[in-house]
Amino acid sequence: MIVNQITFNFSNIDEYALLITIVGCVVVFIALSALVLVISRIAILQNFFIRLKIQKTNQESGPVGKTPVISLSADENAAICTALYLYFTEMHDEEKYVMTVKKVSRNYSPWSSKIYGVMNFSKRG
Amino acid sequence: MKSRKFTLQDKPGINKLLIVFGIILLLFVIKPMLFPASGVNASPTSISAATTSSASATPDGAVSGLEKFWEYTGFANAIWGNLIMILVGIVFIYMAIRYEYEPLLLVPIGTGIIIGNIPFLHDANLQIGIYEQGSVLNYLYFGVIKGIYPPLIFLGIGAMTDFSSLISNPKLILLGAAAQLGIFVTFLGALVLGFYPPEAAAIGIIGGADGPTAIFLSSKLANGINILPNGEVVKNLIGPIAIAAYSYMALVPVIQPPIMRLLTTKKEKLIRMKPPRQVSKREKIIFPVIGLIFTTFIAPSALPLLGMLFFGNILRESGVTKRLANTASNPLIDIVTILIGLTVGASTQADIFLTPQSIMIFILGAFSFMVATAGGVLFAKFMNLFLKPDDKINPLIGSAGVSAVPDSARVSQMEGLRVDASNHLLMHAMAPNVAGVIGSAVAAGILLAYLM
Repeated sequence: MIVNQITFNFSNIDEYALLITIVGCVVVFIALSALVLVISRIAILQNFFIRLKIQKTNQESGPVGKTPVISLSADENAAICTALYLYFTEMHDEEKYVMTVKKVSRNYSPWSSKIYGVMNFSKRG
Repeated sequence: MKSRKFTLQDKPGINKLLIVFGIILLLFVIKPMLFPASGVNASPTSISAATTSSASATPDGAVSGLEKFWEYTGFANAIWGNLIMILVGIVFIYMAIRYEYEPLLLVPIGTGIIIGNIPFLHDANLQIGIYEQGSVLNYLYFGVIKGIYPPLIFLGIGAMTDFSSLISNPKLILLGAAAQLGIFVTFLGALVLGFYPPEAAAIGIIGGADGPTAIFLSSKLANGINILPNGEVVKNLIGPIAIAAYSYMALVPVIQPPIMRLLTTKKEKLIRMKPPRQVSKREKIIFPVIGLIFTTFIAPSALPLLGMLFFGNILRESGVTKRLANTASNPLIDIVTILIGLTVGASTQADIFLTPQSIMIFILGAFSFMVATAGGVLFAKFMNLFLKPDDKINPLIGSAGVSAVPDSARVSQMEGLRVDASNHLLMHAMAPNVAGVIGSAVAAGILLAYLM
């Protein structure tokens, strides 16, 4: 039976194995922690450059107050974008969006007559 | 319209064919009774001798030809292991189609298992088996043995992955690190069960829940080629390790939820996380460049995997190489997935796969997934001890630290919705999920550095 062949030998875990385990865990944490630090700095660095750019623009166009902190959530961004989109693309009055059919007193019109909608070949040469 | 039933009388050709085959079969059945001396288990040399001499014999030659044909069929060479493995292959295909458990992987692997276990005459030098030099399958398997396919898959993964959830909340990367605990605990577990350190490391990587990484590491450490310090050759465990990794990846929705429920309170499950901030294009471009440099400087052994992962992401995010990114994320990864799935499946030839070691690998694989899940969830709880009340992490996303992308993130989402139908955790869970891919590659690099 295969299961009977499975044996446990805890003495196989020697110092070297423990060293690999501990060092391995620590290095994975260090590598990813370094990545955390770097990514955090990317955002800060980017904000710094944006502020610098805004300040430069302000100096050219005249002094303005302190530049605000740029930190927006995706929800806030989406809300602002939607508002801008609505403002620029739908700059007309709100309508009722109710369709009605107006009854016309005159029922017949030559424009709805079938005779104008077909080709009259017999009249040609 | 009236339909007419099809009968054999409609096709006299088929009828005749059946009669001829019936006579041949009958002859074959009564042949051992007529000629008991001619053994069925003739050696290949006697078969080749028969080939040269059979041309002259007339009725006896026909019978010996049939006998030879029988020798070459799968029926004559089948062992119980082949049949068991073919059944496993069918179960894989069934699971993929019926339950949609990782169908892109399980269908090629399942078919590969069937292909690899079709019995044939091994001594006849037919060059058809995956372990026979010069066979087509052997050439395709070369990509697995030499670790060529996994980096190519990582290239595709990089080209497909959006790291913005990770960039917007970088502290979640640490959950991806915590979930790698499964790798190292399983490494110790495999040592206890009697595996040699390189084999144990290859088995441990199953806990990373990353198929390509598991294949990459096992192809380097447990490939049946390397010589151990004591003079012994390491076992070839690529097949069992890959099958275990992919099977458990498919079973993530079954394995993870009980552990997540066990380790979290209802209050913790209800934690709502802040929506992720918008990530700029510049950040998305800088991240893979910086990530590549930092992670590979720390663990250069993981360069084939991490290099390709971040390269794929640069192709995606640069915005100027759309064609390359499209090729890497669609046709290329599809081709490599087909090849890797088929060859890994075919490598499970019964005489090599059905061993006590494989059973142990499967037990250890399940254990490593559990430990990895628990590691991620518990570390999220630990992090919450130091975080502000409005910045807490929902521990359910900790389990996504195992890098089964995106299944484990989906499990976090489902578990979150089970408690609060309006608490969507998917985007938050994607951060530890992709961090897990990086973490498991780094872990593989460390193990390689120590044990290669």
